[in-house]
Amino acid sequence: MTRLPLLTTALAIGLTATAHAETTLTVLMIEGLDKGSMEAVADAYMAKHADVTVEIQSLPWNQFFQVSEMRLKSADAAVDLIYTDAPVVAAYAANGYILPFDAAVADEAKQKLVASSVATGTYDGKLYSLPMNSSAQVLYYNVDLLKAAGVTPPNGLTKDSVTKPDAIVKLATEDRWTFEQVAEAAKAVSGSEGGKGKPWGFAFEQFGELYQLQPLGGSLGGELISADAMTADGYLNGDAWTKAAGWWSDLFNKDNVSPRSLGFGEAAQMFTNGQLAMFVGGTWNVPAVADSSINFGIAPHPKFAEGKASTPTGSWYLSVTKASPDAAAAADFAKFAALSDEGTDVWFKTLNQLPVTNRLLDQINSDPAYDAFPASVMRLSAWESRNTAAPRPVTVAFSQLQDAFRTAFTDIANGVPVDEALDTAVDAYDQAAKRLNRK
Amino acid sequence: MNRSPVALLVLTLAPALLGLAIFRAYPIGLALYESLYTTIAGERTFVGLENYVGLLTDSGFWKSLRVTLWFNLIINPLQVALALALALMFVQKLPGMAVFRLMFLIPIGISLPVAVIIWRIVLLPEGFLNGALGAIGLGPYRFLTSPDFALYSIIAIATWKGISYWMIFLVGGLQNIPQEINEAARLEGASAWQRLWLVTLPLLRPTLLFVLVADITINFLLFAPVFMLTGGGPRGSTNVLMYEAYKSGFVFGDMGRAMAIVVCLVAMLLVIVAIQFRLLSSAPAREGK
Repeated sequence: MTRLPLLTTALAIGLTATAHAETTLTVLMIEGLDKGSMEAVADAYMAKHADVTVEIQSLPWNQFFQVSEMRLKSADAAVDLIYTDAPVVAAYAANGYILPFDAAVADEAKQKLVASSVATGTYDGKLYSLPMNSSAQVLYYNVDLLKAAGVTPPNGLTKDSVTKPDAIVKLATEDRWTFEQVAEAAKAVSGSEGGKGKPWGFAFEQFGELYQLQPLGGSLGGELISADAMTADGYLNGDAWTKAAGWWSDLFNKDNVSPRSLGFGEAAQMFTNGQLAMFVGGTWNVPAVADSSINFGIAPHPKFAEGKASTPTGSWYLSVTKASPDAAAAADFAKFAALSDEGTDVWFKTLNQLPVTNRLLDQINSDPAYDAFPASVMRLSAWESRNTAAPRPVTVAFSQLQDAFRTAFTDIANGVPVDEALDTAVDAYDQAAKRLNRK
Repeated sequence: MNRSPVALLVLTLAPALLGLAIFRAYPIGLALYESLYTTIAGERTFVGLENYVGLLTDSGFWKSLRVTLWFNLIINPLQVALALALALMFVQKLPGMAVFRLMFLIPIGISLPVAVIIWRIVLLPEGFLNGALGAIGLGPYRFLTSPDFALYSIIAIATWKGISYWMIFLVGGLQNIPQEINEAARLEGASAWQRLWLVTLPLLRPTLLFVLVADITINFLLFAPVFMLTGGGPRGSTNVLMYEAYKSGFVFGDMGRAMAIVVCLVAMLLVIVAIQFRLLSSAPAREGK
């Protein structure tokens, strides 16, 4: 009878001992390559901090937001750091899920990182999330399909090409195709019977998504919502977005050059199969496309003829949860991962995604290793991220905005009139904004 | 040994009552309770009826309510009528009936998500149905992405899945009707049509009532096909209240609004079911007087 209490006591002592001997930090993030890179960063951190263990927990992409929302909402102390998608930073901050970094970290971030990335991590004047990397979108084109249709392909980065920094600037400022050119070329490729016998002309990688399509209105100077984030009226249904959405509508309803409702990864797959002549997609597609037998090139993201260049940006951030019992240690790890030379080097080398530190961006611009294709795509992306990148709007009702936007652009592709679809989206956003901003 | 019948009654009813309390009363109570709260800036706050007041001026809610009512106005009579027709055929003693019975029992054996995936393949623009229609020079139709078609495609799928299930109850009810009554009516010279209207249907009333109530409840709470096929679109044409509540609670994290919608839905169901009970149970009572 005496054994059991003894055993439990021993166990309890053992547990407390381990808990005090070192700090364990848990990072909750998405599965995949990002996880491997975070593990590499964690290893580098632990090598310097013997008393800290960093554990990486991961969830599949399609469950990540729902599960992390539930865990944050229930103030789960087992999560110290949360991998945060750019647009949800504001909602997490407003809901009190994450802690702001102190002023010293914020100053360091402003000094070391690209301004648009820091802006997205900032809510109510405080830096809540540190950006890990950014993203960029480019125009992929199939040289053979365009030539066969009698179209001269755009100037771009192609296999075996060597592109110096000043040539990147020329490409991005002088040779950028317009959306009008893209539509004309797409018509030439697919005729009027797109998808039947002939290849499709053009597609966006992420069908109807706000991240992907924000440059359409952005190129014409259109904002999605007001500066105080209270309304989308006069913005999402304003002149710029109405014109942009009309161009989008014509792709499907008039010219029939673009497939409806592409699933995740389908555009790249169709492109590498030769079923699609052009698509705007993330630079993460480069390895898969380069592996295929397609004779392809990469051009800067298109803009409207009378508009300015505007490109998608923003990727993942790292935030410290409010429920973390070791918030100071967690903040120190976040600082190491996102701001230190060592942490950002490990992250960039293992993941090879567009960085957000000025140091690495400068390096990409000057290092001759980025002259050759396809590394030169990273140099183009780096230029875009500093010159044309337009971050997604910061609003606590971002989920609602994203959903309303997706619904509107899916509906438009399915033949719903532009005005009606955009007005419906504005209504949905305004009601959500009113509800979520009441005090 | 003094055995109280009350104790026995409590003992035998306990499992059922416990189940009712845990799986029915508790969630409804929880929904009611949660619908009085909301989260403002991370703080869970009691707001009384504010979530409900908000719904009054919420165009998204009203649109969704209209879709839900229209959907149910079509699907419920359709399902019950078809299930009844099938049940009447089912009890006929005709050659080849075994095959027919087997065919109509298949949908019951398929889980709803699987059925929805299969139907999605059938209804896609490049799917089986459009292929078949194309062969006779029609289409292609956008069954799931056109605002004019999508709701009716959902109705068709739910009906395909549902009617054989309801048919089984009706077959049971039909077989409970004594043969002699029909026989007597036949000898009195009643036509088949008269026998159906004047003998079979009145005697089938209790079963019909059950099927109608249960069917309406299930269809008011229908979710899976909308979630899997249309996501409430296009143009909100399939955005039934259950989906609106799901999105509000689990996509946007606005649990208060979601719960208020669910409570409204339950209240509506209660009213509809009460009316049905009155309508369908009053007639036999009058005959008894």
